[in-house]
Amino acid sequence: MSKMASIYILDYKIDSAQGGLTETISAIKDEDIKMSSKVIATEQEVLESPFFLLQHEVQEKQESIYLALKQVVSQVVSGLGTEKRKETALIIGTSLVDLYLTDAIKDTVYPYRKKEYSAQKHSIDTYAKRLSQEFGLNDFTMSINTACTSSANALLEGSNLINSGMFENVIVVGVEIISPMMSSGFASMKLLSQSRLRPFDVNRDGLVLGEGVAVILLGKEQSDWTLMGGFSNCDSVNITSVSQSGDEYIDVMNAAIRETGISTKDITAIKAHATGTYTNDLSEINAISKVFDDPIRFTALKPYVGHTLGACGVLELAVLMGAIDEGFIPKTLSCRDPILKEYVPISEHQKCEDGIFMCNYFGFGGNNTSLIIKKESR
Amino acid sequence: MRLYITGYSSYRSDMEDVEVKKELKQRYGLDTRRQDSFVHLAVFGAQRLKEKSIINSDDELYITSGVGNIDILLKVDTYVVEEKESIRPIDFINILGNITSYYVAASLGMKGKNIFQISDNFTYIHSLVSVYASMNSSKKDVVLGAIDLVSGPDEVIKRVLGLDEACEVISSVNYQKLSLEDQDAIAEVEFDLKTYTKSEIQALIDADDNALLASKRCTGLDVESDPRYFETMASHAINHAIERGEDLTYIDCFEDAYKILKVKCLG
Repeated sequence: MSKMASIYILDYKIDSAQGGLTETISAIKDEDIKMSSKVIATEQEVLESPFFLLQHEVQEKQESIYLALKQVVSQVVSGLGTEKRKETALIIGTSLVDLYLTDAIKDTVYPYRKKEYSAQKHSIDTYAKRLSQEFGLNDFTMSINTACTSSANALLEGSNLINSGMFENVIVVGVEIISPMMSSGFASMKLLSQSRLRPFDVNRDGLVLGEGVAVILLGKEQSDWTLMGGFSNCDSVNITSVSQSGDEYIDVMNAAIRETGISTKDITAIKAHATGTYTNDLSEINAISKVFDDPIRFTALKPYVGHTLGACGVLELAVLMGAIDEGFIPKTLSCRDPILKEYVPISEHQKCEDGIFMCNYFGFGGNNTSLIIKKESR
Repeated sequence: MRLYITGYSSYRSDMEDVEVKKELKQRYGLDTRRQDSFVHLAVFGAQRLKEKSIINSDDELYITSGVGNIDILLKVDTYVVEEKESIRPIDFINILGNITSYYVAASLGMKGKNIFQISDNFTYIHSLVSVYASMNSSKKDVVLGAIDLVSGPDEVIKRVLGLDEACEVISSVNYQKLSLEDQDAIAEVEFDLKTYTKSEIQALIDADDNALLASKRCTGLDVESDPRYFETMASHAINHAIERGEDLTYIDCFEDAYKILKVKCLG
């Protein structure tokens, strides 16, 4: 099988519960993590659940979400000249509910708010189209929804567009503003922690949701960071979980290593998906222990920013790169009693300025993605 | 860009009277529980493709749609937002776009890449672009599915598609099995990233010997268009051209920008 061509990561910006990229990395470094809470209603109970909310409120409305996107995308686009922008495609990865569609439903179906017929072409990709028009980008836009792997898959799709010679650059965006529908969905599945996210800990009790917007600019111009490639597949024993042996995760991690032409020994560290849920972490730690014969450095970033669902592909990649650029791999918070004693996430920030990193993302619907990135110090 | 088609399947609600869920259970022996009409339609099209194509487990799967699954949002919005009930886990899962592609993959025995995507403009042609880019990297074949379901009052889909109130919308599902190689190909489809102005597209049409078909969005062109509408009509146009053994040039339009794709039947 041919080795994938590498694509460079030219720029990256985020907006997380800890703030912009600089503020987020500082908060991680200093372990000064801000976490809020949110009332989540289910049929059985009303929960006050921990939640990583953006510092500035983003309402579950199209314009509010668009402005949050525009604010982060503009930071990346500002470095591109007019001609370069025309050669730049934009892909969003998200599991946002299509609010244009829910509006159309309300305007049509409910007698008390029935509106006179009016029509305008919209879809979940309307955010991408508006950004493209606003910043003078190429008219190629796409929005991918593959649950928690959405923006990780968007990165692979973006690199394919550049590899095939269609575009000079691709802006890849991850966005998640958690709706009551999504949060009560996770609550109804008993997947939310009521305290904190404890990845790979035997006492882990669930995930903490987070909001986020993250943007990565991919291109051909050389830079310190490279997206070496990765792999994405769909294989699950059922629609919401994988086998405890981690076989599905092993397949995608091994394929990512194979496709990028490296070996396990080349990998400096892993950014695990690590949701803090019982099944995900058990499957993932079993997979890590089987793919890597010797213990390897690995960490989890969700305790710092929450599980940002479709956005986590880009957001956690950006957070990892931001930390490495500052010379460290963030430690995994709150793992006191690890599931496997031989494979323990790092418990202190570790010095690291370059290397090859595996980044895992696993989602509902059996959608699994593993990315490989590289930092070269110059 | 050129892709070769080695298999296809089509269904249009105005051309065939099929009870999709019943067909899935009786003809294909599939379990339809926990799935809604959008998933049923997607799986139904996939089963038709499977009848006349070889699907490999590591083939890649791309599913696209004009608006996605209206059915599930209509259902959930009614009982969660309006009636203040909490969301049922199975409905929560079904809201995710890739759950449709999961069921399609499961019914076809596919374990490769699985993407659910929507583009606001030219959703089908842009999906062809994504597929082409992916195939160039992976060298694998791709199953591309395009699904549009009219569910509930058709006014909902007409509002979000930006259509005239009098426009007749229909449900349709269309698949192609695509390859970079011409081996076993029954047709080739050619497309590019370029968009054209109205005068440019008119000049291209005037010089084109193929049969012509335009999307209903292409107003003011002297080209036949289908009287009924669904957003991924380009996918059906390809399949229909192959069915008739007729080379076709299809024109799509979005906000005064035009794109073109050409189908050439082989053999």
